[in-house]
Amino acid sequence: MKERILETLRDLRAYALDRGYEIVLDYHEEDSYLMRFANSAISLNTNEHLIRLEITAFAGRKRASYELITDLDKINEMKQGVDVAAEMVQHAQPLEYDPTIPAFAASFADESAYDEDLAQLANAEKLAYFNRAVEGLETDDLQLSGIFSSGETIAAQSNTRSEHTQFWRASDAQVNAVLAHATLKWEVIAEQSAQCKADLDPEPLRRDLAYLLERYQTETAQQIPLGRYDIVFGSSAIADMLNFMNWIGFSGGSMKRGFSMLAEDKVGKKVFSDKITLVDDPDQIATFPFKRDFTGIERKPFPLFERGIFKGFVWFQDDADEFGARPTGHTVMHKSLALHGGEVDVASLQALVGMPRQKDLLYIPFLHYMNIVNPSKGVITASSRFGALLLKKDGSLVVPYNVRLTQSLLDIFSDKVAWLSRQTVACNTSMSYGARNPTAIRVPKFMCVEGLEISHSNSSY
Amino acid sequence: MIEQLKQQIERIKAQGATYVDARWYPFEESNQLVMLNGNLKNASASRESGVGIRVLYQGAWGFSASSDLGDLGALFDKALDNARVAAERVTFPIRLAEKDAVQATFSSPCEVNPFEVPLADKVAFLKEMDDKLKQEGVFLRFSRLNFIRKQIVFVDSEGSEIEKLITEVFAGLEVDGKDAQGMTHERKFTLGQQGKPTRGWESIDRQLFAQNAERIVRELKEMLVADDCPKEDRSVILLPGIMFLQTHETIGHALELDRILGYELAFAGGSFVTLDDFGKLRYGSPKLTARANATVPNSPGSFGFDDDGIPAKDTVLIDKGVLVGAITGRQMVEEANARARKPIFDGSGGANRATSFYRVPIERMTNINIDPGTDGTLDDIVARTEKGIVLDGERSWSIGSNREQFHFATDIGWLVDEGKVTRVVKNATYKGDTLKFWNSLSAVGDESTWELKFVDNCGKGQPNQVMQLGHGVPVCRFDNVRIGE
Ligand SMILES: [Zn+2]
Repeated sequence: MKERILETLRDLRAYALDRGYEIVLDYHEEDSYLMRFANSAISLNTNEHLIRLEITAFAGRKRASYELITDLDKINEMKQGVDVAAEMVQHAQPLEYDPTIPAFAASFADESAYDEDLAQLANAEKLAYFNRAVEGLETDDLQLSGIFSSGETIAAQSNTRSEHTQFWRASDAQVNAVLAHATLKWEVIAEQSAQCKADLDPEPLRRDLAYLLERYQTETAQQIPLGRYDIVFGSSAIADMLNFMNWIGFSGGSMKRGFSMLAEDKVGKKVFSDKITLVDDPDQIATFPFKRDFTGIERKPFPLFERGIFKGFVWFQDDADEFGARPTGHTVMHKSLALHGGEVDVASLQALVGMPRQKDLLYIPFLHYMNIVNPSKGVITASSRFGALLLKKDGSLVVPYNVRLTQSLLDIFSDKVAWLSRQTVACNTSMSYGARNPTAIRVPKFMCVEGLEISHSNSSY
Repeated sequence: MIEQLKQQIERIKAQGATYVDARWYPFEESNQLVMLNGNLKNASASRESGVGIRVLYQGAWGFSASSDLGDLGALFDKALDNARVAAERVTFPIRLAEKDAVQATFSSPCEVNPFEVPLADKVAFLKEMDDKLKQEGVFLRFSRLNFIRKQIVFVDSEGSEIEKLITEVFAGLEVDGKDAQGMTHERKFTLGQQGKPTRGWESIDRQLFAQNAERIVRELKEMLVADDCPKEDRSVILLPGIMFLQTHETIGHALELDRILGYELAFAGGSFVTLDDFGKLRYGSPKLTARANATVPNSPGSFGFDDDGIPAKDTVLIDKGVLVGAITGRQMVEEANARARKPIFDGSGGANRATSFYRVPIERMTNINIDPGTDGTLDDIVARTEKGIVLDGERSWSIGSNREQFHFATDIGWLVDEGKVTRVVKNATYKGDTLKFWNSLSAVGDESTWELKFVDNCGKGQPNQVMQLGHGVPVCRFDNVRIGE
């Protein structure tokens, strides 16, 4: 398959060169499987095999692109696509800067994050996994929702500037299992990310769900008072906040366009707690990493924050071209973010609940519908969801209705960070918009932040 | 091709399927252009074609799709296989509400096919707008065009055969500026229906865009020297540029029947609405009448027939404040009626749509509209407001997982004191609990305030589907709302 893809790209390159076109080819292929559960049934079982070819044509400072969903048998259709892009670019308007056309110094192929057993997982295996994850937990009132999304993604690139090609293939699975009360409307979740089949294990999901269910079934939910709380964020919530930071934090292009909470003069300065070390680390196999970016730059671990000190912005090639910055190997479908673990041993929710505490702790595992209220200040807003708990200092436990947090990321990751768990986990952050793009962020299982304000507290679910 | 699809449908039915349909897209093309600070950042086009197959077998769905039509038999078999697996875990066997078989065609109104307009003309339009936006105080200027054209052929095992040709035009302008503290603010204009009967390239009205370019630059400049929005309780007067989003998020999504029945719990969330609420729940004040109206002429939410083959309908959702309807398709109305043990819904509301051939149809908003009211013009409403704020422009939105509460940030706010607009404020936000908020609706503007807004990016479902739809809304006032938080 790999050879056939690269051969096709070489054919298209030759076709473009014959006609004097300057092009870049981006090939994306996915084999996607999704088993979706709702109301304790399989509500959807689907698969898609799709090949997308994006052809970007250049003519001096002009640039235009054409994308088609195609098939490897349809070489003539792809060639027509090359002609369309070449025609389009004639009518584009020149950019006010020189766009870089990549030239690869050597061919590169990376299939290290590919596991055929995961990519080809059978329907029966997925169903068996789910059945085990919720075995004995479903009732007429407690119904299962969730997804088992798995598959493989191929990304390959070629261009007319060099004869070399790049090829990347990864397998991935994203699992989440939700048990929701049909009438009381509370919900609990357990999640897993997998890069290879060996990563799949329904037991931790079952354990987490069983533990939360016991709490939720014995306690009555309460509206908690507004005010400041020491909040322990779970891995999903931490990953979600880092995802937003990826957008309004350390992106050079966002910063230049006024859409960032960090300014240029913050480089080298302490902006977060010294407990915060965040790296874009392509050695983290669980993050489906790219070892080369799409312009051919080798990707090495790139420190973003080291003990709270901001190390520098990342530059996507086009932003680097526009603003005269040096590209940093970040022209990729996704980064490989890893937030380092801390000093405190808390491997599980049970361990967190069992920890001695001097103050109440609000545990928020998941932040729903996060959005940016003010990018310049880093202010985000989101609501808690899926199994929040108020751990009282006397050792007792309250189930809270959902609450809203409207806060600056600068504040959340500031010196208010009390501790991070030593244990980390790869948290799957893949979205199912558009082309398949498996993403995960490695984060501590828990992060405790002191004195964050809860601005809205629900009186029901 | 249609004959081949029909033969395959018959073949799969003969293997025990109770229902089969095929959506064949001979083509779907798109063209997106973005100019940012004079640079044509994005000049892209795409084209795809393919077919999606849905099979209902022993009460469970199976779906399969491909752009490769070379082996239709294998594609139908795969959909049937997927349904067989799903049939191993069924709690409520899927049934589809009755419908009439339809042989019909639908074309969305379009005079000039935007795909036949030379790229150079589109670029020239963006350049013209960019020049108008290029003024002192404007730090970033965006001009956008987005065109979609698709042909969809629907065939099902109940004898329906429908062909649709849909053309969509979306366009907008945005300016961003920095205040004295270096904080970014934005102001936008998005093309809506503007009372036009068609929506091809002809809807790109240069004069309309030029007027709005001038307005958003002026308003941005006012904001850059304005004070922050105060943190207090006031009446909020929502202009259509934010009212559409309020309606979208806290009426539209909350009343999708699949959400109400728990089919989106793993991701998007549920709804605070229960089946018991229909016919009783006081959703809003008596001034509120909302409907899902797919029969509005010329809107992305009007598409002739949904992907179950149901003709466009005008369904009242909230009648003078009382919840009476939902956004529905064939499957969910049957399940809802069975679960409620009474006929809440009389057949499908015709709102089941898929975003592409390779996605499965789900309940989607059509045009979720609010009827105009009797409280006069915007000026009339302002004149009768003691302490309020006029808000416009969507900047950020975040809604609770059951749509029970929300937080919105807007582009701009104008404080109103004792019936008069006093001054502009920046960083305006408001938040509330959905039912309390809609029940505080105290004024609904007349026809002069009503606008039909287009939405080209509503996301829902797993795998996610981006959908186009519309919202026709008047200016509305809500009382005792917390702002500035
Ligand atoms: Zn939406």
